[in-house]
Amino acid sequence: MVSPRVIRNLKKEFRNSLLPKIGLLLVVVIILVAVFAPLIAPHDPTAQNLNQTELPPLGFTKTTNETTAQLVDGEIQTVTNVTTIDAKLSHPLGTDGLGRDMLSRVIYGARTSLMVGVLGTILAVLVGVPVGLVAGYSGGTVDDTLMRIADVSLAFPSLVLAVALIGLWGRATVPIPDPFVAAGLASGMPTSTTLPITVVIVVGLVNWVWFARVARGEALSLRQQEYVKAARALGAGDVRVIGRHVLPNAMTPIIVLGTVQIAAIILLESALSFLGFSGTTLSWGFDISQGQDYVSSGQWWIATMPGVAIMLSVIGINLVGDWFRDALDPDIEGEGGT
Amino acid sequence: MSRETELRRQPPAAADTLLSVRDLSTRFFTEEGQVNAAEGVSFDVRDNEILGIVGESGSGKSVTALSLIDLVESPGRVTSGEVWYRDDDLAEEYRDDDSVAVDGDHVDLRTVSERARRALRGPSFSMIFQDPMSSFNPSLTVGEQIAEAVEVQRRARANPRSTRSRTQGYGFGRFFVDTLVPGRGYVKTESRERAVDLLEQVGIPDPAERAEEYPNQFSGGMLQRAMIAQALAGEPDLLIADEPTTALDVTIQAQILNLLRDIQEERGMSIILITHDLGVIARMCDRVCVMYAGEVVERGTLDDVFENPVHPYTQGLLGSIPDLQDPQPRLQPIEGNVPSLLDDEMGDRCYFADRCPKAMEACLETPSERPADGSGEHQARCVLTDREYSPAEALSEDYFEDVGADGNGGETGGDGNE
Repeated sequence: MVSPRVIRNLKKEFRNSLLPKIGLLLVVVIILVAVFAPLIAPHDPTAQNLNQTELPPLGFTKTTNETTAQLVDGEIQTVTNVTTIDAKLSHPLGTDGLGRDMLSRVIYGARTSLMVGVLGTILAVLVGVPVGLVAGYSGGTVDDTLMRIADVSLAFPSLVLAVALIGLWGRATVPIPDPFVAAGLASGMPTSTTLPITVVIVVGLVNWVWFARVARGEALSLRQQEYVKAARALGAGDVRVIGRHVLPNAMTPIIVLGTVQIAAIILLESALSFLGFSGTTLSWGFDISQGQDYVSSGQWWIATMPGVAIMLSVIGINLVGDWFRDALDPDIEGEGGT
Repeated sequence: MSRETELRRQPPAAADTLLSVRDLSTRFFTEEGQVNAAEGVSFDVRDNEILGIVGESGSGKSVTALSLIDLVESPGRVTSGEVWYRDDDLAEEYRDDDSVAVDGDHVDLRTVSERARRALRGPSFSMIFQDPMSSFNPSLTVGEQIAEAVEVQRRARANPRSTRSRTQGYGFGRFFVDTLVPGRGYVKTESRERAVDLLEQVGIPDPAERAEEYPNQFSGGMLQRAMIAQALAGEPDLLIADEPTTALDVTIQAQILNLLRDIQEERGMSIILITHDLGVIARMCDRVCVMYAGEVVERGTLDDVFENPVHPYTQGLLGSIPDLQDPQPRLQPIEGNVPSLLDDEMGDRCYFADRCPKAMEACLETPSERPADGSGEHQARCVLTDREYSPAEALSEDYFEDVGADGNGGETGGDGNE
């Protein structure tokens, strides 16, 4: 599947271009942050501190104007007291409306986004690739039926479909125990991470179509290959031919699409969280929706910090996806549905 | 206007007939219409012999071969005919089955289930293809692919005529595990060792090292040897070689042909050799079928066909190869092109009549296969088997241009009949 030639191309592309380096750096940092979140985060991301709400991030100050009416020499005067609140070193990215540390929330948000992105993509691959391979390899009525189903699900706007499915199934979540906390390496952190399982299933089912289409296209051309015919002439059955000769040679575009789809699914998850369909409150999209009320009153950082995190991770993953595409398969068009 | 043959059982008379094909027709149902790619094809393959099938491109040679092993791709389908294959186990298995035609040790494979036919690929029939470069999966090593074929046959033998045995442990689950865990193989060590044996038998030097290499590290000739090794994995009774030397250069061609000949003699198997090269036929084959427009127009022993050709098409083919003893006369090409094979455009006549220098009025009827002079097996689909050419009855030269509606006249377009 991963031949020496592929590795050589990947290295060459990596050396010759700056973008893969940036992408890989971003992705590695995000993965490390997500995995070691309890060790990195300075505070419990869910701990509220009502004495320190809406603290600005480092390098900024927050000014509040307090206007009071006073009786001075028998006249009513309005006095404006300007108070300046400085950033605190203990909250480098500030705090939100309930005094929760933004940096910790962004760090923990990476867990949710990556888990949903990766698991959702795996689910989409597991559903889409077999469907596509069977459709393309069988041809005829099987192909027509499966691909019309794919077309129909493609016709729904994915966000609307996702919202509808979550409305139908509810917002189920699975708590995943945190190994670092369990091992006593991090104290004062949440003991488990909430995986919004419905969201994973929904984003997987919304995005399977892309994998089905790519896999089908590959199977369609690979089944015409002489070596597929040769394998059949030597007595290999359909499952063996698909598993041994079709799938391995179809892997390249599937890997490329998979990388891009992780980014698309992270965006979709954020959109769902923003709309309040997530099931977890530790999510970049959820924080953006919480923070939007504060933007107009000057506390821009509450919505901006998680937004920047989404942007960086999506850019990073897409750059890695482009790197794979350029190195593995110059022909494929970058198609991705959100 | 296809030439329907009524269903009549024609089991082979001789016991040494390994495979007997009778009135086999394969059609492609395309959007342009029905294409009769193989039409009423009949021939026998004996034990321990090489049967040659020769014809131009598009004459139905490959389709006939693929029809034998049930590998015709949609929209094509084998529409009628009988394929009698000699296998006593198989005959015994189906002897009491009313839906399967059994005669002695011969079973008509067209009457058994598709599943049973597929189980015969490998241990009974095997096939090698024209272009060795594209006949190997580029992402697997050569040894791995041959071991794969060995493995398929090993499993098939452990549980004969069952498709289940071939997919056991090869579901997607196993596939994902094997893909994700490095170093896990699909095939057992014995199969790998057998693959190296096979590579050695087909004359590949350093077989153990070459087995670890990828197809792109092989030359064309070496790869064709490896292809033959792969085809031998199931120890087939019949090897179908579809233009095995066409993609190779001349010196390598001779080596591959010698190898095929040696293997055939060593193992006592039979080979169907498909080629458009009469030189290869003359050198290799015991008996010959000449195909034209999906039909076998002449068949017989090598001597019958090469020394006493009856059909003007065979004569034309032989006239179009240079004679080394007497290089003076100009080569005689056959005028015109192969007809399109679209059912609508095929007239109810001898398909060769429009190109035939000896076309007569009698040729406007469909000729049947009839015995010709020579050995008892010499048959031709031509009126000249029974009578002499008589110029008085000859069709005028522009006959087929005038009656375009009847035959494949000028309006067919496409390849442009000259």
